[in-house]
Amino acid sequence: MRSFLNPLFALMLAAVLAACSSTPAEDDSSATTAPEPTDTSPVTPVEPATPVKPDTSSIPLTADNFYNHPSNYDGTTDTRVIYFAFDSNTVPAAAFETLRAHATYLKNNSNAKVRLEGHADERGTREYNVALSERRSQAVEKFLRVQGVSSSQIDVVSYGEEKPAASGHSEMDWAKNRRVEINYTAGTP
Amino acid sequence: MKLMKHRSTQAFMVILVMLWASAASAELLIRVTEGRVDAVPIAVVPFAGAQGAPEDVSQIVQADLHRSGQFKPLPAEDMLSRPSNESEMIYRDFRVLGMEYVVAGSMKALESGGYEVKYALFDVSRQVKLLEESYRPPASQLRDVAHAISDRIYEQLTGIPGAFSTKILYVTYNRNDGKNPYQLQYADADGHRVTTILRSKEPIMSPTWSPDGRKVAYVSFENQGLPSIYVHELATTQREKVSSFKGINGAPDWSPDGQKLALTLSRDGNPEIYMLDLNTKALTRLTQHYGIDTEPRWLPDGKSLVFTSSRSGGPQIYKLNINDKSVRRVSFQGAYNARSDVTPDGRYLVYVHRRNGSFNVGVQDLQRGTFNIVTRTDMDESPSVAPNGSMVIYGTQDGGTGVLQAVSIDGRVKVELPSKEGEVREPAWSPFL
Repeated sequence: MRSFLNPLFALMLAAVLAACSSTPAEDDSSATTAPEPTDTSPVTPVEPATPVKPDTSSIPLTADNFYNHPSNYDGTTDTRVIYFAFDSNTVPAAAFETLRAHATYLKNNSNAKVRLEGHADERGTREYNVALSERRSQAVEKFLRVQGVSSSQIDVVSYGEEKPAASGHSEMDWAKNRRVEINYTAGTP
Repeated sequence: MKLMKHRSTQAFMVILVMLWASAASAELLIRVTEGRVDAVPIAVVPFAGAQGAPEDVSQIVQADLHRSGQFKPLPAEDMLSRPSNESEMIYRDFRVLGMEYVVAGSMKALESGGYEVKYALFDVSRQVKLLEESYRPPASQLRDVAHAISDRIYEQLTGIPGAFSTKILYVTYNRNDGKNPYQLQYADADGHRVTTILRSKEPIMSPTWSPDGRKVAYVSFENQGLPSIYVHELATTQREKVSSFKGINGAPDWSPDGQKLALTLSRDGNPEIYMLDLNTKALTRLTQHYGIDTEPRWLPDGKSLVFTSSRSGGPQIYKLNINDKSVRRVSFQGAYNARSDVTPDGRYLVYVHRRNGSFNVGVQDLQRGTFNIVTRTDMDESPSVAPNGSMVIYGTQDGGTGVLQAVSIDGRVKVELPSKEGEVREPAWSPFL
């Protein structure tokens, strides 16, 4: 597995994640726990505690960080595509907030249904890529299930490299094609 | 010989039935990019009486022999004489040009609308006639006769049956066709006479032939974007959906006896190899592993198959014994080996191998244990071996477009089949028809 984060971007990302107090799906229980109040004397905040949205334009968007770039994820159900690193089926940290928004919506709207469409880039053999892309949709499915979404609201289909989003053959095209699309088949937000 | 001609005639009738459905699709063009340096010099003399005929038989024969990479045909303008039969044959005229063999013949239009095609094959150094045949096809079957002649000449001179009368099945993708971008087609092995089997808005994948060449199986996502496996009879265009489980339905491959399909299903949550009995519809699970298991291919003995598995990390080729379900790793070079095919004699495995980020076709000799990369392109996939074991056709990219190429098992002959429009992918070479 090659290194994909440049140091500057890693720093920015860490700041974003801290600001959003996001945690990975695997230890999600901590996210629901309110921070313990400290017993020092209350301090009046100097500034209102608005989340610091990073100026993503300052983070160079490269093929290597594309999958985890904050500009791809707005934290709402408006975002319908989750990107993946090369040869990886790990849900990117930058997508957690977006996926939580989908999970919340699905839990609050039991009539809503999503189809998770897994895709791979064109490198490698076609049927093996179908299998790889299934692992990606299954990773997103698992994330949503851990958030409490019912399995009856999720449907998974794997296309491998058969339906590229970008038709070119550059590293950036491949980054755009390694993805899971979240398509509402009922109860679209 | 009589038997052979009879078989050919049956094949022609089947082809005729299928051709009516074929629109004037783009044919594949063929270019030999690399032939053997020791290719055999041969003169295919333009057949007398070819003018005005719908097909020039001698030209097709010459192109077939050239495309095999094993022969180097003499340009017609260099010929000193142009015999059309044995009595006109002057061996000296070809010996001075370094020719080893000469094909001479004639075409004659018959009252019936058909043609009489005669030819003979001569050995220049021994000054003897090696072959002589005649055919009486209708005009519509002149191409079939030409390929049958090529097959006979090839077998006479190499000892290996020719595969010029075979067909190639493949998927095309045309981004500009908003209605049906995906098509399943087949064509003659020389790229001519394209027939469309299926058009779809959704992907079509992994086409493969039945052992008798009368049916094909493929994966189609036409049902609400979900994958199903179909068995499709070419002559009648009747088809049957044989697999549409939850999850992946992929990578079908026919058993040598034509009774079963090996396939990949993820209905239990993970891609595994299964065997489907096409008569009883009984399903047998063959692999049990949390890794990816896919791309099964039967070995000629019908008792074992090879498949791609990630059980050791990256994809590698494994062999599975169907009786006891034991699995043994076969590929060991490099970190990515996938989608194997096997030669009809079971000696060579052909699969996709990644080296320095480039995907190539590699050939593994199962007897000697050697492994050779035989292509120089870099996005190769879906290798498929000709029924005579001579060539491998595969999909690759040229200028960002999917194209088909063919290479000999020893890597010495390379042939390009550029498409006029859209992408061509996933070639499957037919059995002998």
